[in-house]
Amino acid sequence: MNREIGINQLKRRDFLKAGLVFGAGASGLAAGYAAVPDAFARAVYAAKQGGVSNDNVLVMIQLAGGNDGLRTVVPLSDPALHDLRPVLSGPMVSQALPLTTDFGLNHNLGGIKRLWDKGKLAIVQGVGYDNPTFSHFESIRIWETGDPTRRQVDGWLGRTLAKAYDTNGHPLTGCACGATDVPGALRDLQATMTVIQDQKKFGFTGGSEVEAAVGALYKGTPGIYGALFDTALATASETIAVLRTSSAEYQPLADYSDKVKLVYSSQNQLAAALQLAAELIVTGTGVKLLHVTLGGFDTHYTELSRHDDLMGYLDSAVSAFYQDLAAHGKSDNVLIATWSEFGRRPLENASGGTDHGAAAPLLLIGDPVKGGLYGSAPSLISLDDTGNLKYSVDFRSVYQEILSGHLGADSGDILGATFADVPFLRAPVPAV
Amino acid sequence: MHDIRKPALGPRFSCCANLNLRILHIEVTLGILRGRFNAGMSLDAAPDTVSSSPMPRRRGMTRRQALTAAVAAGVGVGAVRLLGTTMQTLSQPPPAAGSDWISPLESESARVMHLLRRATFGYTDVELESALSAGFNRTVDRLLETAPAEAPVFDASPTPGGRFPIAQLQQWWVNHMLGTPTPYAERMTLFWHGHFTSDYRKAADNTLMYWQNLTWRRMALTDLRSMLMQVTTDPAMLRYLDLAASTGQSPNENYSRELMELFTMGPGNYTEEDVRQGARALAGWQLPRPDSYATVTIDNANSVARRLPVYTTQAPGVFNNRRAYHGTVTFLGQAGSIDTQGVIDRILVQPATAQLIAAKVAQDFVNPQPDQVFVTRLADTFRRSDYDIKTLMRSVFTSQEFTAAASYRALLKSPTELMVHAAKALGATGLSRVIVAAGSGMGQSLFDPPDVSGWPSNAAWISTNTVVERVNFVTAALGQTKASLPSASAAVHRHLEGIVSPQTASLFNQAPDEAARWFIILASPEFQLK
Repeated sequence: MNREIGINQLKRRDFLKAGLVFGAGASGLAAGYAAVPDAFARAVYAAKQGGVSNDNVLVMIQLAGGNDGLRTVVPLSDPALHDLRPVLSGPMVSQALPLTTDFGLNHNLGGIKRLWDKGKLAIVQGVGYDNPTFSHFESIRIWETGDPTRRQVDGWLGRTLAKAYDTNGHPLTGCACGATDVPGALRDLQATMTVIQDQKKFGFTGGSEVEAAVGALYKGTPGIYGALFDTALATASETIAVLRTSSAEYQPLADYSDKVKLVYSSQNQLAAALQLAAELIVTGTGVKLLHVTLGGFDTHYTELSRHDDLMGYLDSAVSAFYQDLAAHGKSDNVLIATWSEFGRRPLENASGGTDHGAAAPLLLIGDPVKGGLYGSAPSLISLDDTGNLKYSVDFRSVYQEILSGHLGADSGDILGATFADVPFLRAPVPAV
Repeated sequence: MHDIRKPALGPRFSCCANLNLRILHIEVTLGILRGRFNAGMSLDAAPDTVSSSPMPRRRGMTRRQALTAAVAAGVGVGAVRLLGTTMQTLSQPPPAAGSDWISPLESESARVMHLLRRATFGYTDVELESALSAGFNRTVDRLLETAPAEAPVFDASPTPGGRFPIAQLQQWWVNHMLGTPTPYAERMTLFWHGHFTSDYRKAADNTLMYWQNLTWRRMALTDLRSMLMQVTTDPAMLRYLDLAASTGQSPNENYSRELMELFTMGPGNYTEEDVRQGARALAGWQLPRPDSYATVTIDNANSVARRLPVYTTQAPGVFNNRRAYHGTVTFLGQAGSIDTQGVIDRILVQPATAQLIAAKVAQDFVNPQPDQVFVTRLADTFRRSDYDIKTLMRSVFTSQEFTAAASYRALLKSPTELMVHAAKALGATGLSRVIVAAGSGMGQSLFDPPDVSGWPSNAAWISTNTVVERVNFVTAALGQTKASLPSASAAVHRHLEGIVSPQTASLFNQAPDEAARWFIILASPEFQLK
């Protein structure tokens, strides 16, 4: 429940020194916010030397609620599955799309299977961490911060943004699409990022005059929320300007359909969010770290149809997204990665569902990927003492490969340690 | 002293009659500004509006005088008693850069406004007047002791399957927030809605969500022990956290886990085994029997019809002993044949429960980072009172921490608080449709919390998307109300205590008309805070 961030840590000194709207004089006030650099944010940018200089893009897809790994990457030949899941296992094995003799994808992941066939899908199996928690919120926080000891407050992508990117003039370097609040993975007090629920509606309905007035209104606001307001407004204004150009330039070259049956609580429109992500990538807005969410994976109850629908929805949205990027000639440097706070209990419950679990596979999709299976699938017989799957790959190994191999950031600095290699990238960028 | 209703700084601007603010060719006289405005200062009241009690034209006017003048200007001299002690003068040196707002909370009137902003959804002029004449202590008593007014009957509730649009129910609740004589009960109902969460999507029957809202309101000011029983057996909750699908033979852990993790004790205070054992002990609850069934066409195009339940009489879940667990469980250190009441009693023995509720209340009503000593003091009081909510909330509102200078504008209004307060400040009663439509972009749709942990609070409400949507709401609300606006100058004092940033003061002064002045007030950072 305690989701407060340490707003008192925001450094206002630099902002107040240079950012008083009156100090900027008549021209500053007249032109409104957009023309006046946000001194607070600029001070942060200025402190950042060097950093990432490539154009690689990461798109994280959160499967919120705890995705059932066994129904995503299905063990085809393990007889223990039928004992653990008398109701859920039958159709899931017989209908699975085989990848190898032992594993197959959920039958609704046909588009992603075609990417596998082209060598563009890497699956890391058995991903988790020590002493797993079965609380959604604790585990989400662990995945978001990359810290199972729960001391870290900032998100792993937020830290990456703050440490490795120059966001000066690029408010969209970090962007959460289809959300209203900052996802925990992107949160960092020193990072500038934007949040866009729906780009068609993003902007001031009162027009540029309201925008200018509000920009002036929020300059140098006193109090503990002052810098937060200020940065959010400045970033919003810059984002509006960028979106104005990008939406004029972008034509989708794939069918993003939200007609696929929506499942309970998947109110996040994944396809729409990914279409916005594509627009931002294709039109060269400088996006690097994108985050989208598909909810509804907490399948304690009647999992069979629910989970199949979610898989279908994920598949159609991701397929359209990849197709769109490829058609625009922009897919070669975009890595798509799924994550979820945990997998589900191998033993099904009486409600035709599954309870909170532990280790699960992650999907890594796109041209930068070297297709194949990585890690090792957890045993269905040798479960841990809570009846859950044991992990074989620390989730931070995956982060490490993404950070150092794809983004070219200093993974050791961001994660605070080094982890076993999981070499799922075709041509990792040279080490920093 | 300059009149805040007139452009005293001499800016020239072209403007239109509507809301648009054209800020063009402004000439700012820096000397005047620096002399008059410091961060977090008070706007001086307009002396010529208080004919019977002219204010001295000098810079060292006290804030009390400013407040007196302002409130009097709106409601007539003598109609309001201001009981505040002498306040600091405005001519004091500016605070250090980056410091907080200057707190006016030594003044009784400011404390009353502070209380109403936090314990209710802001106030109308009439509500403020009445609270000001009662004073802070009597207003606290009145809030706590007045029985919650029942919400009006929601006409669509017997719709088969609860298949009426959720927006109707959202609007019904917002209308009640706007009009209720007991707004504190609504504030607490929203607090519990964000704590004991359910959402209409998974409840899959909007009538059950309507019932839950009625139950939460009735229980909002009772005690945690009886509340937990009502929460556990609430039909929407039985669906939302799957307790209705749990049996003793094969328990579903969802409710057992969240009951301990989010509703009462918090993580780290129970084991995974407690989750499993608790799930056994709690199994057996089912939804109540519908009053009747109706066959309804749910898909006209394909002529699909379904037989759907019709609920006309509110009822809690029913316990079916055949689905229960018939054996001993060991739950939170106690072995035996434990039923639902036993589970709740065991949870309330744990000191962690009072700590969690007290910390959440403190974060929502006092300070985003409450002091641990304060939280423990609240928790002890709460536990000693056998978890009486009134006792807890009284100790919150009457605490030193509640009215400490550091608590002034230390909390961020949730979207619902922001919008309902705006409507009340505008004296507008017809904004519920606008309010319901605007909630989602700011991150708060009633009956649809983002997940089982409810809504975030304070700083987490702010993102690029939500700040823009907060402003857009103000534009939409003023678009509907601009024909009959109350005095914006009075509102600066009634709703912001006249304490605004230099930018807010300046833009307010430059605003060409009443709608633009209201825009500055409602879109200001000051109004987002409480």
